[in-house]
Amino acid sequence: MRALIFAVRSLVRQPGRTALGIIGIAAVGALLFDMLLLSRGLVVSFRDLLDSVGFDVRVTATDSPLPGGIRLTDATGAAAQIARLPGVAEAVPMRTATGEVWQTGRPVIGLMLTGMDPGARRPWTLITGADLGPSLAPPDLVVNQSLMDEVGGALGSEVTLRTGCDSSRAALAPRTFRIVGIAQFPFDDEAQRTAVMTRTALREACGDDKDEADMLMVASSGGAGAAVAAIRAARPDLVPVTNEQIVARMQTQGFTYFRQISAVLSTITLLFGFLLITVLLTVSVNQRLAEIAALRALGFSRGRAAADVLLQGAMLVGAGGILALPLGFALSLWLDQILKAMPGIPASMHFFVFEPRALVLHAALLVTTALLASAYPMWLVARLPIATTLRNEVVG
Amino acid sequence: MIGRRAAIAALCAAVAALSSVASSAPSPAPDILVSRQLLESQQLQVGDVVSLSSDTSGANPRSFRIAGQYEPTPDPMRLGAVRLEVRMHLPDVVGLTAQSDPLDAESVDAINVVLANDDEARATVRRLMTAVPGTLAERTGNDERRAAPFVVLERFHLAIAIVTVIASSVFLLALMLMLVEERRATVGMLRLIGFRRSRILQHVLAEGVVIAITGALFGVVLSVVLEGGINRFFQWRYDTALVFVHITPGVALRSVTVAVPLGVAAIFASSWSLLRGEGISLTRR
Repeated sequence: MRALIFAVRSLVRQPGRTALGIIGIAAVGALLFDMLLLSRGLVVSFRDLLDSVGFDVRVTATDSPLPGGIRLTDATGAAAQIARLPGVAEAVPMRTATGEVWQTGRPVIGLMLTGMDPGARRPWTLITGADLGPSLAPPDLVVNQSLMDEVGGALGSEVTLRTGCDSSRAALAPRTFRIVGIAQFPFDDEAQRTAVMTRTALREACGDDKDEADMLMVASSGGAGAAVAAIRAARPDLVPVTNEQIVARMQTQGFTYFRQISAVLSTITLLFGFLLITVLLTVSVNQRLAEIAALRALGFSRGRAAADVLLQGAMLVGAGGILALPLGFALSLWLDQILKAMPGIPASMHFFVFEPRALVLHAALLVTTALLASAYPMWLVARLPIATTLRNEVVG
Repeated sequence: MIGRRAAIAALCAAVAALSSVASSAPSPAPDILVSRQLLESQQLQVGDVVSLSSDTSGANPRSFRIAGQYEPTPDPMRLGAVRLEVRMHLPDVVGLTAQSDPLDAESVDAINVVLANDDEARATVRRLMTAVPGTLAERTGNDERRAAPFVVLERFHLAIAIVTVIASSVFLLALMLMLVEERRATVGMLRLIGFRRSRILQHVLAEGVVIAITGALFGVVLSVVLEGGINRFFQWRYDTALVFVHITPGVALRSVTVAVPLGVAAIFASSWSLLRGEGISLTRR
């Protein structure tokens, strides 16, 4: 306790230097904290996004979990067969396409289209209006707010839509749809225009007699792993993947840049923090050599003198580290806002996501840095020759 | 009016069904180019004949001869993706992928167009989209949509740089405060023997400029030295020819322009208390 008070007094005696040291460590610590949030932010956010949809398994024809690739055939039959499997609560076929809204005298509006069979779970949240119904004259359309704003009509109004179902097909004739609701789609980015209709309506709009789907969205009842095993056994020709597996794949491929930059910047900030604390403590010790030698002559042990240096380092890092948390949080909001301007990033995804492990890692890294940075000045203090130092100081 | 160049570059995504057949016997198989990554991963060689299929089950394969390997164009958006790719002539792609629909043989994903006059690009795009409904025509150059991710990344790096500069400035200020503290007695002596404040201020500023310029130049040299190492590491890590760090004269100049005034300001700010103090008090005697 006395050592602690002594270290506090040593720091308070030089308030300017101490304050600058704490601010410097806080700035470095804030950057480190942000890099730790960034290192797993996209992965955590993406996993949350996938889970929020309500389906925990996706079944495709190939090992690509993204829509737009090779479609699976006899989708209705496959969905019915999978829905009957033990551990599966629901299986819903989903098909995607592109579309264009045609309005007289106005520019064409491009959009992403999804066709889904009706089910208990729907991967969108209805904001206003009604959800999709079975009507085909004209078919129902649920749109996102961005598309609704561009179309400019009211709920219940009709729009002329041309669908693009296959890149190798000629453009199809436009058809009329009725906008029945506005919904929020979890994977939309800020500017994306999205609409959803029933898969039957989409098939008709595509002029397609094939019962195809980009994927089957599956909700498990006894865990995603068991559902995947059951699907593999029943349909070895299909590829079921869990949300966790999709996240793991994205972690090694899609989000690797941000993990790398996070690792590089974390290393640099730690090195910077190490230098800062080492220089502060070393110069401080060098300026206090006479004082330390006098204390040793009065009976302070080597351990006590070294502990004083260590405690000063710990207090600088502790205060700076605590200050770094709100500073880092505020900084992460700013950086997140910058990165979310990237096209194609869903509006509900974040690059910087807080996890308790980030806090623990942040504290552990700062403590390790403080210990390493204090080692050299502690060694200087422990090896200080008392008589020689006092004589030199008096003669000097 | 419009010069048109055939869109030959076609990628075949049927890599999963690729298998090596024979390498010695002469074959009428059409030529293909194989990406370096695919060649290495499948241990293929130039001259090998391989079977490709557009079906995941490997059904209806066709034989092709590997005429050469190529390095895929570096694409920052595909960082981390293993570039298992094949380039073949357009009729070969059509023949490989066409199904029962007669339109398949007449379909391409895109047509690359070279204009005789670049200034007509906007008007041509408008004309094409009006003349052929359902066609999307866009300029490849000055494409803001494609550049957007990199503009965002540039902003992000700038923000990180600002935070780093702030942290560095605080560090520098703390360091200079301690160094100035050590020179308190010297400055006091100079004041006592008749040096004016302005004279000492000039000395402090000159020293600050020299230290700041030296530090900034050292930083530039260090970054140039590290540039090669960082690029080599990430090029190895991602198996790409992309350049990750490129220190241009403009970047170096910007760094020096920021670092030198900051360094001088830190030295000046830390010396302020010495310049204001009286000589006798500074010597502590």
